[in-house]
Amino acid sequence: MDETVAEYIRRTVLKIPRDEIKTMLQKWGFLSETQLQTINFHQIKENISQDVVQLCEENSADIKQAAVLDIIYNHIYPNKRVWSVYQMNKTGEETEFFDLTDFKKKFKRRLRSALKNVTINFREYEDNAIWIRIAWGTPYTKPNQYKTSYVVYHSQTPYVFVSASVLKSNLPLLCQALVVASNYHDIREMELRSHSLNSLKDIVFKRYSQNFQTYCPRPLQERNVAPESADLRIIQENRHEKERIQRVNREVFGDGPQPQLEFAQYKLETMFKSDSKMDVLDKKEPFRCMVKFSSPHLLESLKSLAPAGMADAPLSPLLTCIPQKARNYFKIREKKSLFPGSFMKIIFKDHYRAWGRRDSWNIDVSKKFPSSFSGY
Amino acid sequence: GKMEEGKAYSPDGVFAHLEMLEARAHEAAVKQEATEQQEEKLARLKARVQELRLQRDELRAKVDLQQKGQLGKEGVVSDLAQPSARAVLEWKIKNIKATLQIFYLTGISGKLTKRGVCFCISTAYEGTYLDSYYLDLLTKPEVQIHRHSVPIFIPLEQIAKKYLQTDIRRFLSVLSDHLNAYVGRRYQADQLQEHFSDQIEGPLQRNSLCNLLVFNYNVSSRSKTFPFNVRLLYGDPCGSLPTEVIVSCTPDAPASLAETAAAHSDLFRRVALHKAFRSFSGTEES
Repeated sequence: MDETVAEYIRRTVLKIPRDEIKTMLQKWGFLSETQLQTINFHQIKENISQDVVQLCEENSADIKQAAVLDIIYNHIYPNKRVWSVYQMNKTGEETEFFDLTDFKKKFKRRLRSALKNVTINFREYEDNAIWIRIAWGTPYTKPNQYKTSYVVYHSQTPYVFVSASVLKSNLPLLCQALVVASNYHDIREMELRSHSLNSLKDIVFKRYSQNFQTYCPRPLQERNVAPESADLRIIQENRHEKERIQRVNREVFGDGPQPQLEFAQYKLETMFKSDSKMDVLDKKEPFRCMVKFSSPHLLESLKSLAPAGMADAPLSPLLTCIPQKARNYFKIREKKSLFPGSFMKIIFKDHYRAWGRRDSWNIDVSKKFPSSFSGY
Repeated sequence: GKMEEGKAYSPDGVFAHLEMLEARAHEAAVKQEATEQQEEKLARLKARVQELRLQRDELRAKVDLQQKGQLGKEGVVSDLAQPSARAVLEWKIKNIKATLQIFYLTGISGKLTKRGVCFCISTAYEGTYLDSYYLDLLTKPEVQIHRHSVPIFIPLEQIAKKYLQTDIRRFLSVLSDHLNAYVGRRYQADQLQEHFSDQIEGPLQRNSLCNLLVFNYNVSSRSKTFPFNVRLLYGDPCGSLPTEVIVSCTPDAPASLAETAAAHSDLFRRVALHKAFRSFSGTEES
């Protein structure tokens, strides 16, 4: 077995949390059950990985099989990578009969015709997701197994999820291969990025909870009605307002869990509007400013803003449109912008306040004079 | 009971007799009450049948009205003079709920919203209710889709471009056909994987729309098993049966199996996938 393969397997096993190693090796299926039983999974990971490499040596593992283990690891822990979303377009109206074998063949052929030194692996999952792992080389060097790109594609959809990692120069080639293999005409990157692959899928496939008004005779879900306190001396003064906020919040965000995004970024190219007393700028130039909202779970934070009393309900549509517009990078321009009113009206009662251990709310308002606009 | 001779004037005798008569009367009363209750129940059920018939006729009239091009919230017509307001309200609510349930069961139902209308398309396949999909439409300045929960691989945009502006009924009908066909195909493939996995060799290749299935399955003949390969292409996006079926066996298979392959091919074209497989397990050897 190649030394590089052995080292690669060893490092991959070391990434896996100790309690999960056995299950993952079973999913991999390269080592037999009897072989797995010879490994002591309670020893330190260093030793476990050595044992695994030893057994792989016995079975003469090659890089393709090692790559499968890497795919399995990334499929179970996709949130360790940053995923971007690409959208493909085509003009034809015929029904697509997606043939997996055909797709794989076309993809490999296209990629290999431009660059011979690549390792390409495919793995299909129950939910019609096709995972593609590509290890990139150069015309003169073998593929570097530690510089991999991952692509997740659901057949007959126009969206591709890509975790490109370092080699951005290979992106055009990758995009080309995807377009050819899936029978589309072109592809563009969307303004949507997150660590949570499933949340990105929820957003573009519209699987997140949207509140549709229907008469469907479902049993009404129990609303979280706080029990009326037994002490009649306690009166809720703001009950109506609280109920209004709850209702508005539900209409906007729905009842279910929100997709998980880590940030939303707004580049403002708008004129700074102030009264003449606060004459900040002599020249009426656009006030170039970028506002970035960060949070471990941005949409849940936004959802809890109004009920927590930190913002007025309804929230600015610039914030609430994120799942529907499927973007978390925005450019706001004067008058020609997406929304009437050329600047955001977000009224925060208490700026820069962080609450809870789960959510930290950082509003980074920094004046930036951009030297280049790349990508958007 | 017989009057006991010689005990006519003893207190025991009279009371015993009275008791017995009382018991008899009680029995008779109970029996009569039971029959009266039966009759009452029967009368109530007959009245209920009448009520339901009336309701049905009312709904029929409304459906006719609706078919003459009236979309919108149906009013509830209550022409039963009830004495209490509460009873009227309860009756109205019950009526509306029943009407809405009926509309929901037809597969397409809608609710007027502030800016338009929200439709719900409920799908089903051969008696099993499956997923529901929603469309939030705006009606001003023109009919457009505001939000929806239709899966991305259903050609919603194409269908909307063709029919949404001109014929909303056709739009809903075509979309409903696409969705029902999709869930039907998916249901068949899921059933196959769930109940007949022992007959399938290797992976079942499918796709998001479930309109191309390729897999191998085992056919036994003379106590030997042979793998068949089948490729099912569902050419009609609104159909849940395949339009193209190719069943092939390995070159070393006995010639008789070619007939079996042809028979299977024909069966797959006519019958739902999981039902076809059920019939294979039913018959012993083919």
